[in-house]
Amino acid sequence: MTKYIFKRLGQGLLTVFLTVSTVFVLVRLAPGDPAVAYAGPLATTEELAKVRAQFGLDLPLIQQYWIFLQQLFTGNLGTSYSFQAPAIQVVLERLPYTLTLATASILLTAVVAIPLGVWMSRRPDTKKEFGVNVLTIAGQSMPDFWTGIMLLTFFAVLIPIFPASGFATWSALVLPTVTIAILQIALISRMVRREMTTNFAAPYLTVARSRGVRNSLLTWRYAMGNSAIPVFTALGTRFAAMLNGVVVVEVVFAWPGVGSLIVRALETRDYPLIVATVLVTALLAVGVQLLIDLAYPLLDPRIRLGKAATA
Amino acid sequence: MSLSDTAVPPAGGPSGLPAELPARKSSPSAVTKELIAKAGATRRRAGAKFKIRTGVICTLLVVIPIVLAAFLPLPDPNHQDLAQRLLPPLTEGHLFGTDQLGRDLLSRILHGGQVSLTIGVLAVVVSGTIGIIFGAAAGYFGGKLDSVVSRLIEAQMSLPLLMMLLLVVALFGPSIPVITFVIAIAQWPEVARLTRSMVLVEREKPYVSAARILGLHRVQILIQHVIPNVIKQATLVVLLLLAQAVLLESALAFLGAGPQRPFATWGRIISDGQDYLTTAWWLVTVPGLVIAIMVVGVNLLGDGLRDRPRRKKKGA
Repeated sequence: MTKYIFKRLGQGLLTVFLTVSTVFVLVRLAPGDPAVAYAGPLATTEELAKVRAQFGLDLPLIQQYWIFLQQLFTGNLGTSYSFQAPAIQVVLERLPYTLTLATASILLTAVVAIPLGVWMSRRPDTKKEFGVNVLTIAGQSMPDFWTGIMLLTFFAVLIPIFPASGFATWSALVLPTVTIAILQIALISRMVRREMTTNFAAPYLTVARSRGVRNSLLTWRYAMGNSAIPVFTALGTRFAAMLNGVVVVEVVFAWPGVGSLIVRALETRDYPLIVATVLVTALLAVGVQLLIDLAYPLLDPRIRLGKAATA
Repeated sequence: MSLSDTAVPPAGGPSGLPAELPARKSSPSAVTKELIAKAGATRRRAGAKFKIRTGVICTLLVVIPIVLAAFLPLPDPNHQDLAQRLLPPLTEGHLFGTDQLGRDLLSRILHGGQVSLTIGVLAVVVSGTIGIIFGAAAGYFGGKLDSVVSRLIEAQMSLPLLMMLLLVVALFGPSIPVITFVIAIAQWPEVARLTRSMVLVEREKPYVSAARILGLHRVQILIQHVIPNVIKQATLVVLLLLAQAVLLESALAFLGAGPQRPFATWGRIISDGQDYLTTAWWLVTVPGLVIAIMVVGVNLLGDGLRDRPRRKKKGA
């Protein structure tokens, strides 16, 4: 078990390291000069050279990378050009907002999608189920930025019950959460339905039914017991993905999270900030992924970590 | 049609049975399991048919005008007419109204759609090809190749996708080839994973051993015999990916990482219109609806094709 955790941690850290290194090299290979973005379009050649020297951008790539590695192990990724503050700190300040939004969205998704999926699987091929089925297709077909803007128009502009942007009051959480959840509910509920339908057709369920087990127990205990792992995995993976910044929705609602931060960092070619954002979010994603895997034995006692789950 | 609902337990035991016969002796019910299954299949087929039909209609509703955009009597998408700014839809000569510079919205949507669709289709062709080749090779040859491809897929699925796409586009410039390539790279793992799992099943079948005994080369078996058996299912997924590609492209364009100025792709039209939300609702609503209708259409079509219960092999 401990061995398994260490092995997974090692793999995860390696992935993160490779990702960050790739990003580090990519941003420097690509066209675009942070010095120009920093010093403004009117800067003279001397001024630009000074800025480059200040940020260490005039050094050869290998040397820059070496400095970066040293920084990485001291946990200091350099100063963000545009915020004039340690890049890591800037990212960590934004992180709680993204965490809040992601948590609220995944909770709403779970609360709606699981019962909805179960309901669909209990009435396969009926008219009502077909209607809901088509609705979920529509739900996954709408561009999320558009859904966001539409919700914004209706519930912040036409009927101003929610604030349109930022995060000043808790009610500001509602619209972004709903926007994200619409898409996720559509995806997850369809998946719950698929899993449950498979389980309902399984022989063990017929046996349980013929023994006279109550219907509610059949659904939530027997069938759900076996659907729990895939459903939980899907929810967890979605959550991990959201931690990487729900970029589009954050931009629409001017949400002060990591997603809108990276867009800004990319626009200004803020190298340290880009790398710091990628580092923090990749670490989080890997961590959440690991937690999901560690939770498997709790959901299904047949699973022993380190043996079957490594597949 | 809905026979299966009548599967109540007492249905039709033979009438003349003595009452004391044990109840568990199987009574030949009028409603057999096959009948229930058949009824279910019938309804599913009807549902699938509805989905396919609606899907085709929705898709064509958007695609045909886009393809014909150049031949329709429309104003130039970039023709500005400041006297005719922000006209609401259904104004004379402007079915969808005009934008803040007096450009015809319908024309912009259709011409923008050409770019969006081209990118989507190209991206899907590329990702489909890469995915099928890598997935099939990994599944069929196994061994080292398989573990490399599987690790690649895993690694990519654990990466922050949209962020990486933005990064690459921001760095290499938002030209159409870059965006196409980026979307294709984002999508190939899905195809590869599916193809791989199907090939894994397929390679154990007798016809593969037969081909091997006949002395065919492994690559030849894979290309001539295995891939044709999985390609149909794989293309179905590719169809669903097309819907995703269009959404992804519009999201990138919305974030400012879409094709640059002369091209007005869907995401860009919406993000431009965002500033006029209160005064000109149609600038955002209409293009979004167009995207939604098309993507719903493609998704319905793919879903319907997948749901369609297999008929017994005859003509179909």
